[in-house]
Amino acid sequence: MSGVVGAVLQVIVIAVGSPLLVGVMRQVRARLEGRAGAGIAQPWRDLRKLMRKEAIAPHGTGWVFRAAPPLLAGTALVVAAVVPLVTTASPLDGVADLFAVTALLALGSVALALAALDTGTAFGGMGASREMTVLALVEPTILVSIFALSIRVGSTSLGSIVTATVEDPLSVISPVSVLAAVALAIVTIAETGRIPVDNPSTHLELTMIHEAMVLEYAGPDLALIEWASAMRLSVLLGLLASLFFPLGISGASTGALALLVSVIALVVKVTLMGALLAAGEVFMAKLRLFRVPELLAGSFLLALLAVAASFFLA
Amino acid sequence: MGVNMTDAMYVQLLDLACGAFLLTGVLVLWRRELSAIVWLFALQGVALTALIVVLGSWQADLELILVGAGVGALRAGLLPYLMRRALVAGGEGRETQPLVNVATSLVVAAVLAMLAYALSQPLVRLSPTPATQAVPVALTVLLIGFFVLVTRRRALSQLVGFLLMDNAITATAFLTTSGVPLVVELGISLDLLLAVLVLQVLTTRMRAAFGGTDLDELRELHD
Amino acid sequence: MDSLLVVAPVAVPAAAAGLYAVLGWNRITAWLGVLAAAGLLTCAVALATAGRREALAGLLHSDALSAFMLIVIGAVALLAMLASPAYLAAELAAGHTGARAMRRYGVLTQSFIAAMALAVLASSLGLLWVAIEATTILTAFLVGHRRTRQATEAAWKYVVICSVGIALALLGIVMVHYAGTHAGVASLNWAALAEHAGRLDAGVMRIAVMLLVLGFGTKAGLAPMHAWLPDAHSQAPAPVSALMSGVLLSVAFYAILRVKVIADVALGTAFTRTLLIIVALASLAVAALLLLAQRDYKRLLAYSSIEHMGLLALGAAIGNTLALVAVLLHILGHGLGKSVLFLSAGQLHQALGSSRIRAASGLMARAPLLAGAFALGLLALLGLPPFSLFASEVGIARAGFAAGLGWAITAALVLMLIIVAAIGRHSRRMLLGGEPGEAIALPRSVAVPLVAGLAACAVLGITLGPLHSLLQAAATIAGATP
Repeated sequence: MSGVVGAVLQVIVIAVGSPLLVGVMRQVRARLEGRAGAGIAQPWRDLRKLMRKEAIAPHGTGWVFRAAPPLLAGTALVVAAVVPLVTTASPLDGVADLFAVTALLALGSVALALAALDTGTAFGGMGASREMTVLALVEPTILVSIFALSIRVGSTSLGSIVTATVEDPLSVISPVSVLAAVALAIVTIAETGRIPVDNPSTHLELTMIHEAMVLEYAGPDLALIEWASAMRLSVLLGLLASLFFPLGISGASTGALALLVSVIALVVKVTLMGALLAAGEVFMAKLRLFRVPELLAGSFLLALLAVAASFFLA
Repeated sequence: MGVNMTDAMYVQLLDLACGAFLLTGVLVLWRRELSAIVWLFALQGVALTALIVVLGSWQADLELILVGAGVGALRAGLLPYLMRRALVAGGEGRETQPLVNVATSLVVAAVLAMLAYALSQPLVRLSPTPATQAVPVALTVLLIGFFVLVTRRRALSQLVGFLLMDNAITATAFLTTSGVPLVVELGISLDLLLAVLVLQVLTTRMRAAFGGTDLDELRELHD
Repeated sequence: MDSLLVVAPVAVPAAAAGLYAVLGWNRITAWLGVLAAAGLLTCAVALATAGRREALAGLLHSDALSAFMLIVIGAVALLAMLASPAYLAAELAAGHTGARAMRRYGVLTQSFIAAMALAVLASSLGLLWVAIEATTILTAFLVGHRRTRQATEAAWKYVVICSVGIALALLGIVMVHYAGTHAGVASLNWAALAEHAGRLDAGVMRIAVMLLVLGFGTKAGLAPMHAWLPDAHSQAPAPVSALMSGVLLSVAFYAILRVKVIADVALGTAFTRTLLIIVALASLAVAALLLLAQRDYKRLLAYSSIEHMGLLALGAAIGNTLALVAVLLHILGHGLGKSVLFLSAGQLHQALGSSRIRAASGLMARAPLLAGAFALGLLALLGLPPFSLFASEVGIARAGFAAGLGWAITAALVLMLIIVAAIGRHSRRMLLGGEPGEAIALPRSVAVPLVAGLAACAVLGITLGPLHSLLQAAATIAGATP
């Protein structure tokens, strides 16, 4: 029972909290850059404004363009329900292991890239091709690095991996975990379109990846995409936290109080990581696009070494 | 050393030191700034020291710990210091054009790791302890060092490649047998130090003769 | 007293190095090196008659094989040191060197000789490694002596490639130590390892032997890690080239011989034999190919060294008594012949100002003695009687056919035929023909070692004399199978 409650809770927390996370990150950046900032609720205010506008689709676009935003948001919500963030005992855990999660995330990305191609504009196509380049390196890295972690547990279920870590927290201090953690951190940054791979607040079309794909969206569709992107960021950060620092996460049978503690722990962890990420972005410049594959190839290598190490040092 | 260490903790610390050792080796391949490469080399020296000290504490062998401290002083202290001085004197910041680009060399490193794993199987089979099981890590760093040596075009990066190989050999020695006899260990360290000094002097001469340390300039002698 | 005799071959040149550091290089101290080399040779002969000895708590140890190698070192060092004063005087006159560089030359050459003596006297694999790596470091500045672009390039390649090769050998030593520890031998001592070699783990030893052959093979100039050799040998000062080509290569090869003794017991003879035959034929092939189109006579000599190292490897691969005696004799003959050639090439280089083959012509008319020594040296290296290399090459070939390795010998002979043709063509152009230029003077102090080296090489080709029993004993120690 507590598993179902926990799963519902984490979907709610992610759905409501992820725009706030984006707000926190923007606020941190603003403060560090010496600006006052718009406040952490600004993303929600943006979303509200966008939702009230009329839905407009560019001339000549088809169903692919219209289907992408709901699909992106839908996959993000399903992933939020499956991944162990508040509880390791999600009722969906059995059907959705690490491969399913990766596939769901990829599905959202691919839908958006197809939609960008559907518009037929130059920037849409450019963004889509870049996104695919990044995706091609990111997906295997996520798979391989979580696989490295799963070898120790003997299961690809994310819930079991996190449970094993909860039971033996010191096992995180091993080369396998360290290498996988670094690899996952890098791909999380790439997947969510943050500096140094992509710049979420850029207005220079030539350097865009994610933003170039959503240029043609407006109104509620854009709101949906922005919201989904924020959820993907929160889910990936939350997953990172659960895998390597599963403090406070609930097990199969816990009371309401424990669930509350778990929620608070999740919020604190993700907020902290988001703030850290934002602070890092202030001090870093975006990589030139042709250096990005280098970074991602590096993270793939680390993931592969993590797998190798889990065999070497068994 | 009367450090009480449980089996699990020993294995964990050992693996962690090996992981750091490997990670610094891989990052050398990744970074282009020569100063960063020197830093990474120093960090690898620290990881190697930690490795030896962990082994020494586990075997309660004071001599081993002292040797570890000596190795650390040389590889994490003196050698990086010498290289940094050469770097400051030279004023060349970056590896410009490696023969193999960085993304490809990272993929090659993955292949090298597999190769090292295959090569070290007979070694692990002879005595499968936690320490010998980490030998593939050392051999991976050896191969990466060789790869850096072959593909990088700056005198200093070649030097770091050579030293990575040497670190890896030292790590192998300590992981398999807790090191070679002390006389030999001293000789090796001295030779290593001298080799670095010799190469440093040659770098200076190269700069005087060629106006840089780009090794592509070295092509006057051929058949 | 006993142990003093074992320490002396290292101590004498080391002391000479110390004296050079204090006194510098002048007209009198220039002959100090000769004195030290003569002392080294005397000690070597004394050790050869003395049998097995140990010193310094077992760190040093001398047997027939070490004593023989010491004789080679002493003989070649004597020739090189005899030629040094005149060579350096000419360099000084031409403005290529100065007082500081000459002092350094004295210190480094003597330390270099001491390191080689230490290598052959070391009783353990570890100390041997240290000594051989030390030779790389000591000779680095000798190779880069002239400080020109070419010399700096050669020195850089030399240090990097040799250090990497030697590092691989170190890894091999680590693995031998690992295998040894698990077989109850906690030291790297030759005798202890050879005694318990049967118990060493075969899987580990296979990797170890491969690394050791590759590593020491680098230093011995064997393919595939030979790239440094032509550069370094052509850029070093002539007496240093003579030492490097004449003995340093053989000292590294000596290490392979010692390793082979252990490997043959641990792994059976087939493994090392295959490895050595591959390396040998590859070296011969490389030498043959690159000699064909050679345009530089110093590099020509260097490639000839690769060829001869290949022959040594082939002889060691065969491994019976006849082959090993021939290998050891070949080491001595090659040392003498190659040093004569490098010394005369050094004189030519100083006189002509270039080491291009095209720059030299009609030498027979311009400098009969020098060109004669050069020509006879080449004949000796090509394996023509009466020189000792003829005897040793015939020995290796006979032993090879007897051991059923006829195919390898045949392949080697074909490659050597190409080499003979190539060297013959190049040397004819240098020595004969062309328009006669001005005469080249040959200092008497250089003429002496040239004549002496050739004479010794010829005498050895006719009779081994007292060396015979020493060679037999050394071959037995090197693990000769009947």
